[in-house]
Amino acid sequence: MKLKDFVKFRKEKFGGVIFDTLREKVFITNETGSEVLELIEKNYSVEKIIDYMEENYDVEKEELKEEIEKFILILKENSIIEDEDKN
Amino acid sequence: MRIKIDNLKAPLFLAWQINSECNLECLHCCEEAGDIIVEKMKEEEIYNFLQQIIELRIPYVAISGGEPLIHPNFKEICEYLSKNGVNLKVETNGEYIDEETAKWFSDLKFRSVQLSLDGVEPSSHEKLRKYGNWHKTVSACEFLIKYKVNTEIVFVPTRFNIHQIGDLIDFAYKLGVYGVYTGKLMRIGRAAINWEIISPTEEQYKEFFKVLEEKMKQYDKKMKIFYYPFDVIEELKYRLRYPAASLLILPDGRVKLIGPLPFICGDLKKETITSVWEKYKKGWKNKRVIEFTKKVINDPKLLSLSNKWIEL
Repeated sequence: MKLKDFVKFRKEKFGGVIFDTLREKVFITNETGSEVLELIEKNYSVEKIIDYMEENYDVEKEELKEEIEKFILILKENSIIEDEDKN
Repeated sequence: MRIKIDNLKAPLFLAWQINSECNLECLHCCEEAGDIIVEKMKEEEIYNFLQQIIELRIPYVAISGGEPLIHPNFKEICEYLSKNGVNLKVETNGEYIDEETAKWFSDLKFRSVQLSLDGVEPSSHEKLRKYGNWHKTVSACEFLIKYKVNTEIVFVPTRFNIHQIGDLIDFAYKLGVYGVYTGKLMRIGRAAINWEIISPTEEQYKEFFKVLEEKMKQYDKKMKIFYYPFDVIEELKYRLRYPAASLLILPDGRVKLIGPLPFICGDLKKETITSVWEKYKKGWKNKRVIEFTKKVINDPKLLSLSNKWIEL
């Protein structure tokens, strides 16, 4: 899983800003979303992201899993991230 | 959702006019570029500026001119930014792009190369772009497409080429370009001087936008066609409410609030991007700017002052 080509992410005080420079579209996210995007930039898998967040936040794993999977689906639907080339 | 620039620590986009020299003398050039050389940033100043772009994680830089490819440091600047994760676009007349240069753009993974092509007839392109060579530009497109570089074409409508828009879009699709961009001619720079000779009539614009809508349907999901339906006055009305998250940098390092207005909000030779960004944000709230912009909106002839720079 990685940011698509020409998509850039930057942390801001309010969370983060995602800029798809090819489509010239800007998205914003809150602090948690921003943290997940930073982990995606570091090539974390979904499972690893969930584990990391569980270690750092006081939240039930199932709830966390649901929220993160939902967020990742939104990122994919908006063509912000894609799965790594398996070739 | 529109982003509030007050909440951003740095711009998201830089439009950098790297030089003012150009091998052409286009009748409409908003920068009035040509063989007049204005002061440029020195190499040391440029590298200081580039380093800040990287540290601030500014994601996207568009380099234009003048003709940017004749800047002596063009390639090393692009290499430096690209290798440090900045997405790049270049706006060029394409006359300096041969096969080797096209491959270089491809290797650097440019976001896009944008070329100016003003019709399917060489004569109209060359009339608008004094000294321009239509065949060279088309050949640049072909090389870029061969090396899979996202290639964009910009079409500037004037009264003598506006009727070619449909054919140009068909031609662009056959070439394999990524997108065609166009919009109303802006009454600034040399276009303001030549307005009576080049500006299309309202009738011509009606037909132009009709064709564009048809072509957008025809090439939906096949090729990007983007046109800005508003003129520069509409743009100013909009920007008064929603300033862009970008800075427009002039060849000498000074920063303009926006192309059509004369206001300068900083100087990157003396100040950091962060400091200029704060001044830019304040600039849009400056009473003098607001009043002058409203005057321009009521009297578009004042756009001819866009290159008579005023320091804020």
